[in-house]
Amino acid sequence: MSTSPHPSPLPKGEGTDVPKRILIDTDPGIDDSLAILLALASPEISLEGLSVVHGNCSLEQATTNALSILELANASGMPVAVGCELPLVQPSLLAPETHGNTGLGYAKLPTPRIKPTRQHGCDFLIERIMSEPGEFSLVAIGPLTNVALAIRQEPRIVKSLKELIVMGGAIRYEGNTTALAEFNTYADPHAAHIVYHAGIPTTLVPLDVTYQCVLTQGDVERLLQIESPLTRFIADATRFYMEFHDEFQGVQGCVINDPLALALTFAPELCDYQELPVDVDISGGISLGKTIGDFYNYNKKPANMKVALGVRPRDFIELFLERMEKLASEIR
Amino acid sequence: MPTRIIIDTDPGVDDALAFLLALASPEIQLEALTTTQGNVTLETATRNALAVLELANAAHIPVTAGSVLPLVQPLRASAYVHGVSGIGNSKLPPAKNKPREGHAVDYLIQRVLAEPGELSIFPIGPLTNIAMAIRKEPKFAKSVKELVIMGGAIHESGNVTPLAEFNIWVDPHAAHIVFHSGIPITLIPLDVTHKCLLKQEHIDRLMKINSPISRFIKDAIEVYFKFSYERGFAGCALHDPLTLATIIAPELLTLKEYFVDVDHSGGPAMGKTFADVFNVTKKPANMKVAMEVRGEQFIELFLQRTEELARKIKE
Repeated sequence: MSTSPHPSPLPKGEGTDVPKRILIDTDPGIDDSLAILLALASPEISLEGLSVVHGNCSLEQATTNALSILELANASGMPVAVGCELPLVQPSLLAPETHGNTGLGYAKLPTPRIKPTRQHGCDFLIERIMSEPGEFSLVAIGPLTNVALAIRQEPRIVKSLKELIVMGGAIRYEGNTTALAEFNTYADPHAAHIVYHAGIPTTLVPLDVTYQCVLTQGDVERLLQIESPLTRFIADATRFYMEFHDEFQGVQGCVINDPLALALTFAPELCDYQELPVDVDISGGISLGKTIGDFYNYNKKPANMKVALGVRPRDFIELFLERMEKLASEIR
Repeated sequence: MPTRIIIDTDPGVDDALAFLLALASPEIQLEALTTTQGNVTLETATRNALAVLELANAAHIPVTAGSVLPLVQPLRASAYVHGVSGIGNSKLPPAKNKPREGHAVDYLIQRVLAEPGELSIFPIGPLTNIAMAIRKEPKFAKSVKELVIMGGAIHESGNVTPLAEFNIWVDPHAAHIVFHSGIPITLIPLDVTHKCLLKQEHIDRLMKINSPISRFIKDAIEVYFKFSYERGFAGCALHDPLTLATIIAPELLTLKEYFVDVDHSGGPAMGKTFADVFNVTKKPANMKVAMEVRGEQFIELFLQRTEELARKIKE
């Protein structure tokens, strides 16, 4: 395994480097919301826009949620562009049992006053990426429909994106949607196929690492010591998420997949990686949506991505909590 | 009132013949072409579309370039049928016009949403552009008047695998999206196009008119003749022009309503279109399929129309 050097100290968040410019493609979603908050709370990165996609909840609900989260975090100037309502080929698949009927668990945020941009999510991604080639990191934490359509509509984004970080897949880990498949990939396996083989420098953040990162009830109680709408939101949203994890997966606490993917934009040392040829099953059988890492290179294909396969979970959870505490103390 | 159409195309010899037939037909108002990869690459398809329009004094018709690649499958191209240039051995002067700025998918969305229920689209190449428009703009499907698609092989053998027809096989995922979009569809499969054969005697007849149009058709179709003879056909199938029979001579076609689906599972039936003739799936019909055609009458109509056009267009 080609691992990064031994645990290096976590970034202090006070670096003099220019912040890394980030776009997020998202279907908020409880853990998506936490990823958006983590992005806003992290000085190492500059979040410059969200594109919204179907997934954890309907496109309309996801858009409302994205806007509400931004308002909650005093970031209502951030552009939100509405993308695709349906997966490319598969029928629509939403996840109300995981994220609740509103997509945000038990959290009730005020109806947002801000509106999404008029531009389509795909066009927003294309325009931002093409306007400054080599500048943007895209963090895709929902089904990959928007990203795939953007690639097919404007193939030059492949060379113009600095990097793509995808939360998705389960390489050696069991699936969370079928026995083999992870939700984001299963919700639009054809889009994943397009994105995986596009030639973008890609980091995959699969369940293999995210399932090590469990936010516990104790963590939430620590956050609640700060009186803030932000901590109340996190507590209400994750309470539903924890009930789901307990009932369906026997996990005490909740797995915060998307924030880990986001954190890797500025703290890559949280994970260990391996370069692998990765493919996704789109044949429509019982393996539909399974992500396959070719560890022994049976197929003699070059690696098409870097896959996070090891993680320092408590370092990550601590980073997440510190950032949320800081953001919460600013939002009273 | 002529029927207002946009042709989505990958020219392609028979695509080019379809433009000429559309331009020669007063029942049709050809409002735009959108291009896609298929018979040839997108770049070549776009160049050919512009060049054929200029040849027919129709340079005012806008051409917008679309998809470079199929959605999921790798790029295919069929030089053995259409020649490396896509239009056989014809040597049209390079087009003076340029394609419009912007992407065909956005152009289709914009045109269709501007006049809901008004525009029919004739996709005669792989369905990538149409599928992307459907997924990008959910209102698109409800706003298109009709799609008349050249594609598929129901009972007829495939022309690219034993089962699959080229346009559908190139992008079966796009076909799946389009077939299940709810847009009113008429499908023109190989079952009927293989009965509409343009033969050498027809070319000889056209060549009695001294016109760049007749010379273009003769030169364009040479490679296609060779391919067709090798396959045991007595002439070249006019696949794409036959879609226009739905407007100019609907009485030549027998349409059946079927539930039609396409295999995209990646096995030996990849790209196969199948019609549920006995309705064993109990699913409602999603399209009308042309199952029979009076082929010789269509060829005669095609010749008369192109002769008229050729007479109008002299050096």
